[in-house]
Amino acid sequence: MIGATLRTITGRKGTFVGGTAVLFGATVLVLVFVIVLHVLRPGRNPSLGGQNMLDGTAGAVVLLGVVVAVLIGSLAGSYDAAQGTMRYLVMTGSRRGRIYAARTVALLLAVLLALAPALLLGCVTAVLLPHRALDAVEAGEVADVVWTSVLFATVFALISMGIGTVMRSNGPAIAISLVFFLGFTPLLLLVDRASPTLGDLMLPDVLDRLTGADTGQSIPVSAVGLGVWVGVFWAAGRLRVQRDEY
Amino acid sequence: MSDPIISLDRVSKHFGAKAAVSDVTFEVMPGRCIGWLGPNGSGKTTLIRCMLGLARVSSGTIHVRGHEIPKDVHQALTRVGGIVEEPRFYPYLSGKRNLEVWASYTGGEARTRVDWALGRVGLSDRAGSPVKQYSQGMRQRLGVARSLLADPELLILDEPSNGLDPAGIAEFRDMIRSFVEQEGRTVFISSHLLDEVQKMADDIAIVQAGKLVLHGSVQELVAGGRQTLRIRVDAPDRAEATVRALGIVTAVTHGEHGNLEVSLGRMDDESSIAITRALVEAGVGVVEVVRQSESLEDRFLEITAGSTAGEMGEASS
Repeated sequence: MIGATLRTITGRKGTFVGGTAVLFGATVLVLVFVIVLHVLRPGRNPSLGGQNMLDGTAGAVVLLGVVVAVLIGSLAGSYDAAQGTMRYLVMTGSRRGRIYAARTVALLLAVLLALAPALLLGCVTAVLLPHRALDAVEAGEVADVVWTSVLFATVFALISMGIGTVMRSNGPAIAISLVFFLGFTPLLLLVDRASPTLGDLMLPDVLDRLTGADTGQSIPVSAVGLGVWVGVFWAAGRLRVQRDEY
Repeated sequence: MSDPIISLDRVSKHFGAKAAVSDVTFEVMPGRCIGWLGPNGSGKTTLIRCMLGLARVSSGTIHVRGHEIPKDVHQALTRVGGIVEEPRFYPYLSGKRNLEVWASYTGGEARTRVDWALGRVGLSDRAGSPVKQYSQGMRQRLGVARSLLADPELLILDEPSNGLDPAGIAEFRDMIRSFVEQEGRTVFISSHLLDEVQKMADDIAIVQAGKLVLHGSVQELVAGGRQTLRIRVDAPDRAEATVRALGIVTAVTHGEHGNLEVSLGRMDDESSIAITRALVEAGVGVVEVVRQSESLEDRFLEITAGSTAGEMGEASS
């Protein structure tokens, strides 16, 4: 079931293939930009690979990766209900919980597949292209970029899938998921001003803590906070799948 | 006698205050093709959705293959295929890839039946094309192919002839009959093409305003309708007097061009012979004698207009 569902997600060229291409293209752009700077001003930009390339990759893949994950995730949630294929999945006699679980795992795999080419290109070029010893990247730094990209993308993909499943309509699912990522999530940072304790449990804070960008609260508390955030949206979708009539 | 493959007991389904299905009870025996008829909005599709575990009943119980829906939906639907309203697919995947997706969900040996199912509906040549390039008729056939993946004992098909051209409809009818007669499957089919249903189905159930108003064999249903003799003669008035004098005629109406429509209490060969012989002996020139039965369409319109609940076995609800 997971493989079959993955095929339905990755078959959507507009979001999956397009999103993967955009991520890869952005990393290529970073690479081109670094090369151009190096050629134009080799004195100020002596390294082709190394830290500059890794930072550029991280900047491109984390932000765009979330956007792509939101698109893939929201459609993964809404598509079957909107297209009318969900009723035929239910008619196979598969339990609705299993259908939703398969969709979840397939989505995570799809997001990883979408990120992989860009991350691979960025990390490999950062390590292999010529650079000064001062700009050298360590394995841990590469791992941090990969972990941050994957965590942000998978978290927002799962949240978007929950939103999409609840919405049952592709356009609104994408729109609301993007608003959640671009509009609502930054607003959560303001909670910290009202209550630092509560602020530590807001989505941006727990993501920062788990990716090492913040050192405030404990990691287990952040992990639980993240689990609650993702769990609420995931469970809302699960409930909708269980209760809906198709 | 075998157990029913579908059994509905006092099933009702409400949407808010509106009752879409009211207190429906009936059974479908295996190895039959049953036509499920009713005007638009009569609750046909709602009941089909309930039978397939897509919607919950408000009261009553449904058993499919001996398993209660929705409690044992997995066991119930293991060998059930269906089309509800219209077949939907992933348009960007090929027909074959689509079937592989559903085969994965169906489990068992469904994956090994993908090529066979495509061949069974005549889509092997186009199996590699994206479904978005398929015509409506091809999608219907792919829907049937998907229904066959589970090697179904029961096929529930809601308006499966939609979008098919006349040749496609005839082909589809033959396919349905072969499912029943050669493969022993049960087919529960809803359609607006009453002529097709009459040719395909063994039994008929008619639902109106959410209530089952009639359930019985097609033969009984059609036989329960009005039967007439259309007689074209050279002397209509004398012919009418002659046939009325026989005492077996219930009504005579005059049509154009010397046509008489004669209704009989009982339509059989002896009555036809007696009328023809009496006309000839009375010196009436008989041009044509045609025995006419009401079609399923006539009976359907008669029943759903509320004029009768049918003289055959009335439904239990």
